[in-house]
Amino acid sequence: MSTGLPILETHDLAKRYGRHTWALTGIDLAIPQGGITALVGPNAAGKSTLIKTWVGFEPPTRGGVTVGGIDPWKDRSGVLALVGYVPQSPALYDSLSVNDHLDLAVMLRPNFDRAYARRRLDELGIPGDRGARSLSGGQQAQVALALALGTRARILLLDEPLASLDPLARREFLHVLTDAVRSDGATALLSSHIVTDVEQACDRLVVLGVGRILLHDSVAEALASHLLATDGAAATDSEAIGSFAGPAGERLTLLRRPTAAQAVTNLRPASLEEVVLGYLASGRTSPAEAAA
Amino acid sequence: MSRFGSWLILSFRLHRWEVLASAAAVALLSAAMLWFAWQLRTLAGTDPGCVDPTAYAPGCTQLAQRFYELSSKAEWLSYLSWMAPFVMGLVLGVPLVSREVEHRTAGMAWTLSRSRAWWLAMRIAFLALVLIGLLLVLALVSEVLASAVFPNLHLDRDFSWYGRRGGLVVVRGLSALGIGVLLGAVLGRVLPALLVAIAASILLFTAVSLGMDRWMESDAIIQPFGVDRAGGRLLGQRVQLPSGEVIDYGELQRRGLSYEAIQDDRLYAKPEDIGQADKIIGYDRELLVPGPLYPQIVLRESGLVGGTAVLLALAAAAVVTRRRPR
Repeated sequence: MSTGLPILETHDLAKRYGRHTWALTGIDLAIPQGGITALVGPNAAGKSTLIKTWVGFEPPTRGGVTVGGIDPWKDRSGVLALVGYVPQSPALYDSLSVNDHLDLAVMLRPNFDRAYARRRLDELGIPGDRGARSLSGGQQAQVALALALGTRARILLLDEPLASLDPLARREFLHVLTDAVRSDGATALLSSHIVTDVEQACDRLVVLGVGRILLHDSVAEALASHLLATDGAAATDSEAIGSFAGPAGERLTLLRRPTAAQAVTNLRPASLEEVVLGYLASGRTSPAEAAA
Repeated sequence: MSRFGSWLILSFRLHRWEVLASAAAVALLSAAMLWFAWQLRTLAGTDPGCVDPTAYAPGCTQLAQRFYELSSKAEWLSYLSWMAPFVMGLVLGVPLVSREVEHRTAGMAWTLSRSRAWWLAMRIAFLALVLIGLLLVLALVSEVLASAVFPNLHLDRDFSWYGRRGGLVVVRGLSALGIGVLLGAVLGRVLPALLVAIAASILLFTAVSLGMDRWMESDAIIQPFGVDRAGGRLLGQRVQLPSGEVIDYGELQRRGLSYEAIQDDRLYAKPEDIGQADKIIGYDRELLVPGPLYPQIVLRESGLVGGTAVLLALAAAAVVTRRRPR
């Protein structure tokens, strides 16, 4: 669970690719220590870019980031000592076995906890002598997660590790992650564009749309403070956040929970996915407009 | 297993095909060179007088002919040993970073490692070790072949097969490795990096070769054409003016001293001047690095090329530290 002290921060963070493509536009964000935070947004929302600036892979165009109070562009090894990273598509070495990957991690990082990583893989029945090439996508993701967990890092940054996994593999991955974070007291930031996957596992939610933060709250608070209006009810209300099409084509509007004085009918509690969709609908402006 | 053993095995597995291909190439080339060396030594042992080109004994024609034929073929192998360090250095060096970026393993490796420079150092160290080991074999075997081809020369004081034998074979390989690693890191794609690295190697080694020639000029001597070079390295032709001044042919032209006739080593303005001592424009001369300077020149070039290899590796570390993985 989070302690409230920020461990991952951005200050007016903007990132531009080329001359005109803004991936992030002036983001101020403080992820508290402890627990799992979901970083949710559609493709090209800037999730990977945000994570990569924290890992020190992408330099900010403007503003800055800190990890545990350290600027990765001033002290990269200081940051890497704090961070375990799982890339978007877990890329393992084809020519190495699972155990070779653990040995490699020990070679690269002398304090790597090989036994811990091995135990995590044993629990999943992933044999050490299997070549990485012969593993399923889910198993490869688990090996990548075990490598990140074996660093015993205080912060885990997971860049859409669930995207290419089947539902069972996704569930297993989240189970291992949740268990590890809870038992180690680590902080995890998990990016995904599939809200239903992260709903059960995460404590906090950050919705990122077109390069800016649309919502940052605890999952419980996000659910408690929003309602959904069906078919145009309260659509003009000042508390309306965004409208989107429902499963049957009906118009749904996400509202901040109205005060008791407001009498609004046709309301029901919003699911987390609907909260996210409402905010994404509210943020349909281009990053260039936002940057301007 | 010890950390060193683990490092060796993992590094080998990461570069298995390049290392095996390089080892196979060296094994084949070395075997062929040793076979030729053995054949040549056997022939020379039959009648040592028959393989001394300065004093063929009567009745040597057949043996000398056979020796000449084998030597000519061995010469081709020596060109392969000249080329091997460049090819092996690039084959081993280019994929080191570029394949990691291309296959997206760099992100994982760079966040696991305490620093990217440490990661690169560990990877380069293994490849450098492999390269040094393989090229040392080649360097020694090519010395053996050279001594069989030139049984009457003192090869430690002779520029014959310069760069095709001895320590230069090793340091040139390290330099090519540095080029490969650097361009692989810059471009991040194996094939484009390999093509650019080939071109860059040609440019760099042409520049080094020209630079070395200029450097060696300060040690060179002038001697008339036709005089035994005694293992010396020919740097070029020069003209010695009757005043004793030595200039090159370009300078001769710039001074308007055109010549239309040469007899022996004497230059004349017109054919009708031939034989008139007062009409001699100058004397054709060789610029030669004396054979005894061979070890010194090899050491000098090894220092230059080896230093370049270190600089290239440092540049590669700087690129790797800053570049983004995919």
